[in-house]
Amino acid sequence: MDDSLQKLIYQAIDQTIPAEDFEQLQNLLEDNEEVRQAYLQAVNLSESLHEIAAAPLQSSPASSATPPLYRWPSVFAFRSLMIAATALFMVGGMAYWLGRQRLPSPSIAQITETGSDASESQIAGHATLRRAVDLQWTDPTSRAKVGDVLANGRFQFDSGVAEIDFFCGATLIVEGPASLDIESDWSVRVNQGRLRATVPPAARGFSVKAAESEVIDLGTEFTMDVSADQARVEVVDGEIMLRGGDRDGQHLHTGEHETLHGSPSSQGIEDMITASDLYQRDQSASTQRFQEWRRSMQSLREDDRLIATFAASELEGRVIRNGSTTDDTRDGLLVGPAEVVDGRFGASSHGINFDRPGSRVRTRIDGEFEAFTFACWVKIDNLDQRYNALFMGDGYENGEPHWQIRDDGRLMFSVMVDDSQSVSFYNERDHRVVKDAGLHRVYITDPIWDISKSGQWFHLVAVYDPASRLVQQYVNGVRVSAEKIKPKYQIDTLRIGPAEIGNWGQPFRETPWFAVRNLDGTIDELTIYNAALEATEIHSLYESGKPLGY
Amino acid sequence: MAASDPPTNNVNSSEREQRYNEFVALLSRHDLSIRRFVRSLLPNRDAVDDVVQETALECWRKFDDFATQNAGHPEEFARWACVIARYKALSWQRDQGRDRLVFRDSVVEALAASALPQLEQRDEERRAIESCLSKLDETQRQLVLSVHSPGQSVSSIAKETGQKARRLYYQINVLRASLQQCVEKQLRQELRHG
Repeated sequence: MDDSLQKLIYQAIDQTIPAEDFEQLQNLLEDNEEVRQAYLQAVNLSESLHEIAAAPLQSSPASSATPPLYRWPSVFAFRSLMIAATALFMVGGMAYWLGRQRLPSPSIAQITETGSDASESQIAGHATLRRAVDLQWTDPTSRAKVGDVLANGRFQFDSGVAEIDFFCGATLIVEGPASLDIESDWSVRVNQGRLRATVPPAARGFSVKAAESEVIDLGTEFTMDVSADQARVEVVDGEIMLRGGDRDGQHLHTGEHETLHGSPSSQGIEDMITASDLYQRDQSASTQRFQEWRRSMQSLREDDRLIATFAASELEGRVIRNGSTTDDTRDGLLVGPAEVVDGRFGASSHGINFDRPGSRVRTRIDGEFEAFTFACWVKIDNLDQRYNALFMGDGYENGEPHWQIRDDGRLMFSVMVDDSQSVSFYNERDHRVVKDAGLHRVYITDPIWDISKSGQWFHLVAVYDPASRLVQQYVNGVRVSAEKIKPKYQIDTLRIGPAEIGNWGQPFRETPWFAVRNLDGTIDELTIYNAALEATEIHSLYESGKPLGY
Repeated sequence: MAASDPPTNNVNSSEREQRYNEFVALLSRHDLSIRRFVRSLLPNRDAVDDVVQETALECWRKFDDFATQNAGHPEEFARWACVIARYKALSWQRDQGRDRLVFRDSVVEALAASALPQLEQRDEERRAIESCLSKLDETQRQLVLSVHSPGQSVSSIAKETGQKARRLYYQINVLRASLQQCVEKQLRQELRHG
């Protein structure tokens, strides 16, 4: 936009334009579509700036997750005009509206930015859940997954064994039923439960509170048994100090035990699970889970709606067999530094890590399809790139899918509708205009990932259904978005062709530069159906495929 | 029929309530798009609220028509409402006469035609603007936002800061232009990166 035109436009928007200039602007607006577009863009920009200025808290990019909802006063004003006619329905409408503002978006750990260094993100927490064997949660809605960062507050389960690593280096193995209050990196209160605390030198001073007493570890290992009417402690190895209660200041050494609360008992704490027991239990439970998954895979592979299913655990050299066919035409091939790492069932299973830019799994899937369901198990270490690939059709030609995650944690799924409607753009590196993809629509979810979810496994699903004109996306068996396909973006014949898992091949690019879209993370299973799977099927895929501790 | 009467008198109250809830939900979802559309047609910012309100009332009066014609296509609501908004904007301008800053009818029609196909782009655009704003340094960001704060204008800020209005205006326009470029670039990238 040339400067004088921009000046005219903003003078009009700011209402400072002289009459004869306004006349000139009107003539231009009437005659010239480009001027109209420039005007509309300027109006939009200034309106957005108005909104942002009116709600300064909304202005950081991290908080842009939801579109602004403070427009509601105008709706309210409108509604107040209608009170006479519709007073009866006011309450209902208002409740609906307020309800909309609290639409459940997937819970994202609080990430805040510090004042001094705006680029540094922070996570609240004091410990991580390292292992969870047969855990039954007291409150299923507040369950934690293996790998989760645990914030301060209640950690409670009815049965099973949990291993918790505190940031200070102390480890607790806790047998249920148990109820803990995590207080800090260095301290925990036990309301109920049997536990074994292992405290390396770096964590000396770690404290466990029970009843009115506090156990300060001065090195190595102790066990505790806490119930409503008794609390006992025994030193397995090393030394502890008691604080508070009747035994304030007392030291206990290897083999000594003491009752902190309730009727004294001379018995030691027996049969408390050890770290190596737990490791064994965890391994065998993982292996069992892995075997169960393999059995469920056998039956899933009979599904004649399958287009392809790649399981990294079935790797043969550098080839991932496509389990949906008997021939090898749709196999996946590991290319570049794609690395074989542990899969979601621990060391006995495999996944493919794509954290280096040249990493990819290439495949070729010819044919025409009526609908798509893409499902994968992925562990994201970080969202380093602006766009991070899950599954990408090479050329992004008509009917081909793109499935990726944006750096703000939003899932994106799209299908090219008309690649002949090409978009030209100026490539700054090559200093020339090149052509790129045409008409398509990207279906975007609310953020589903942030750095606090790093290292966790996620089951992601995108369902693209031209017949019902609906695009739906799921995370861990739960639907997170549903969007209508507008007539303009309707396409009935779907294709895949040459494609990649974990990266994007761009064979038709007109420049040597390629977009870096490799996924900094691991995919251990990816399945494609020529059908729109139902919500119940997707939920059961998640349930039958989820790793131990989920 | 009084201006605020609900559209149909012979339906029972629970149906009316349901329809009303449906309407409020649609209006709430598309309020921003409708408002932007109206703002595009009216250089006078103060008029926007009036026209949006008039539009909302008219939409409620005609909501039965919409529901019948567009059964199953609630996404058409914004477009439908904006067609109504265009008439409301035109009639508002006619009522105002020529003493205020108003576009002539042919300009309103041309702008409306250009704006209608763009109703759906707002979310992405808003994200792009926020991201571009965050790339400005703090003083620049404050400056460009200050002129858009409620009750502020370039001349009042010039007075407060002791700067010449013309110079301030120039600075702000440079910032707006660079924001505009940044937003366009980001949106173009989004377009390519499906």
